[in-house]
Amino acid sequence: MTNLIEVSAVVKSYGGIRALNSCDLEVREGEINGLIGPNGSGKTTLFNVITGYERAQAGRIALRGGDITNSSPDRVFGLGIGRTFQLTRMFPRLTVLENMLVATQRQEGWLRSITRLAGSDSERSRALELLEFVGITRLAHEPAANLSYGQRKLLELASLLVADPDILLLDEPAGGVNPTLINHLADRIQELNAQGKTILVVEHNMEFVMGICSRITVLSQGSTLVAGAPAEVRTNPAVLEAYLGADEHEPAGGGAATVAVISEPPRTSREPVAAAAAPDAAAAAASSGEPLLRLAGVCAGYGGADILKDVSIEVARGGITCVVGPNGAGKSTVMKTISGLLRPRAGEIRFRGELVSGLAPKQVLSRGIAQIPQAHSLFPDMTVQENVEMGAYSVHDGALTRKRLAAVQELYPIVRDRAHDKAGSLSGGQQRLVEFARCLMLDPELIMLDEPSMGLDPQTRAMVFEMVAEMNRQGRTILLVEQNARAGLRLSTHGVVLENGRVRLTGSGHEVLTHPEIGALYLGGAVAAATA
Amino acid sequence: MTAAATAAGPASRRSPARLGAGAIVCLVLALFPVVITDPASTSIAFYALVFMVAASSWNIFSGYTGYLALGHAVFFGSGGYALSLLCSHLGVGGGWPSFLLLPLCGVIAALIAVPVGLVALRTRRHTFVVVTIAIFFIFQLAATNVGFTGGTSGLFLPLAPWTGSSFNTPFYYVALAVLVVTVGCSWFVRRSRFGLQLLAVRDDEDRALGLGVKTWRLKLSAFMLSAFFVGMIGGLYFDFIGQVYPQTAFDPLFDLSIALMAFFGGMGTIAGPLLGAAVLESLQQYVTFTFSNAAIYLIAYGVLFLVVILLMPRGVVPAVTDYLNRRRTRATATGGPPERLAGVAQVTP
Repeated sequence: MTNLIEVSAVVKSYGGIRALNSCDLEVREGEINGLIGPNGSGKTTLFNVITGYERAQAGRIALRGGDITNSSPDRVFGLGIGRTFQLTRMFPRLTVLENMLVATQRQEGWLRSITRLAGSDSERSRALELLEFVGITRLAHEPAANLSYGQRKLLELASLLVADPDILLLDEPAGGVNPTLINHLADRIQELNAQGKTILVVEHNMEFVMGICSRITVLSQGSTLVAGAPAEVRTNPAVLEAYLGADEHEPAGGGAATVAVISEPPRTSREPVAAAAAPDAAAAAASSGEPLLRLAGVCAGYGGADILKDVSIEVARGGITCVVGPNGAGKSTVMKTISGLLRPRAGEIRFRGELVSGLAPKQVLSRGIAQIPQAHSLFPDMTVQENVEMGAYSVHDGALTRKRLAAVQELYPIVRDRAHDKAGSLSGGQQRLVEFARCLMLDPELIMLDEPSMGLDPQTRAMVFEMVAEMNRQGRTILLVEQNARAGLRLSTHGVVLENGRVRLTGSGHEVLTHPEIGALYLGGAVAAATA
Repeated sequence: MTAAATAAGPASRRSPARLGAGAIVCLVLALFPVVITDPASTSIAFYALVFMVAASSWNIFSGYTGYLALGHAVFFGSGGYALSLLCSHLGVGGGWPSFLLLPLCGVIAALIAVPVGLVALRTRRHTFVVVTIAIFFIFQLAATNVGFTGGTSGLFLPLAPWTGSSFNTPFYYVALAVLVVTVGCSWFVRRSRFGLQLLAVRDDEDRALGLGVKTWRLKLSAFMLSAFFVGMIGGLYFDFIGQVYPQTAFDPLFDLSIALMAFFGGMGTIAGPLLGAAVLESLQQYVTFTFSNAAIYLIAYGVLFLVVILLMPRGVVPAVTDYLNRRRTRATATGGPPERLAGVAQVTP
């Protein structure tokens, strides 16, 4: 077996965040290689770099030994590498059949490429054959916009095959697709492989990946962790660790040594509710009272099937509640539903006993619920101070704004020290702190954090977690969504495990953390035994 | 069938009704100056043809790719200047001899489109719009200040040898000939894979790139093709006027008009820009010819435009096609003969 694609030491950073950090990958001729790894580990970025959508800053990508580093996407396709996108892309205003006829055939001159008719008889019959192959022939004359999500995935795959590429890079082919269709897709992919196509597939559905792949490559924090047969990979403790987060063998709050600078922060303007209380004490205090936020029987989705199916979660006052679960479980959707970006289809959400589901995001915010979204939420071209001041956009009291600004500057010295630098020039961890500062400008009672540790190195991550604990010590209730389940749960008073839009487990952070089923949730059934 | 089907400009549905309508339109256009000889009417008709060509060729680029170019007057004016300079340097007289040079005017405009495209097509969406406008103003400024364009007073073109009521007729027929070629070309593009790829760029340029579409040269080719016809008809227009100077050659209203005409009729369709230009330009010319107080009627013109765009946001042609398709589908559903599905796009010509 020869290496068809060889990626060596590729580096790609966005501002302060290293998406690919000396990443290596081998794709062997004729295999189905599964590329897995936690959120933010760089899988899609690697696809983008291979296919020319993004430029690598260092490293080399070779196809059959020839250098293709930073070639343009059309050239990469011409060399026989076709790709699909995580968020399916096709041409909505063209018909399905027309979609199939767009791809340029390989080795075709300019004159030929602009004078040929769209679809000779042979091309059309080939296109129809491929539609038959994926099973959407009857939709050939429909505008692609009318297709369902799953059908779009099939069309996207089929439209690549027209030009007969040797290698297919599939970005989450089974993402958001129903189980029947997943099986259908798995069959098609295996059949394509049997026809001699080499396939590299990014997928979070472990059953799917383990079922069809002959080899698996695990990415973690932008570099390759391991590569090997599915059985090897599943039982590799390093892989589980990558998914659940590194086990630092430190007591909660043990990261303090690395954040000595910011320990002992002065009080902010806020009432010191449970300021000095340790998480456990806070939990005890919280468990006695009415929960601050309660989701009851919430169902929500984005037009298609429901993402959240009858989700009930309680967020204890003064505690840290951590929602964990595999990708696509609906964690971020929970946040969006609470913040009002997404209106639940059924169920209700109460904050301090008051109904907040159905309110506009602005109204939710004014009730005291602030959200810090997944990475990159700062305005990169605005200065740090401007970004922080944006947080107080809805506060129309100049004196109060200045007072709060002074308070967050005390808490996060970086807000003062780099006040006039552009936010985009900060490192990933620094950007997170500025995001925290911006959020505190509203003096919220409940802070929702979406993956605060994403894309950060372990040391920075420990610092960010410590800051989360600190915000909690100052009396703010925290709802945390975290891919790094171990670190997140260790920090938390309460844990909630979501899987496929349903609540699977609830309990104290520690209970959830040590529950035997949790490994299985991330890596598929068989792992439980291996790690238990 | 939904809106999307017709927005894509469904390819040929050769129903007899369509062919018949097309034949009648051609016949009317061909016989117009024979039947109506009054010069005021024939010049209105000539102007309408000029704008039909301009809007139709604008559509080959902007309508198909979705890139709104607001600087096509660059090619229109360049065509006029090119013809004037060619005539004076080659000693060519007015009338038919000058008409023979029109394709060359088109070629010159297409060549000008290369550097313009190389700059403008680096950008997308609103940036592209702004860049095309900026380039347009550079040309306007250059025409006033560069030596060979004759400054603000511009250049003259050789006078055609015809007089009286017969003066307009040859111009009319040449414009009609250019229109036929332009529409034929637009039709061919829509049916070629080249055109399909242009539509793909409109829908998702990055995805098209990932399917091996060389979007850069594809867009440039369409831009040049578009400039070619605009340059040709620009030459003819200024030949008719007899003089070309910066204000008329590089007129921002021209940029806006052809875009609005295409919007009015339906961008990305073949018939839309033709309809838009025919209606709006004849109306405007008629109003200017007939009434001394043109302002009030220009307001009426604006109101008509707004009403159409508000009621039929995608333009007249897509809206009407949709309506007809819906009716046909209903007829089929209520027991009519199981005809071919409405809105089915056939890609073969």
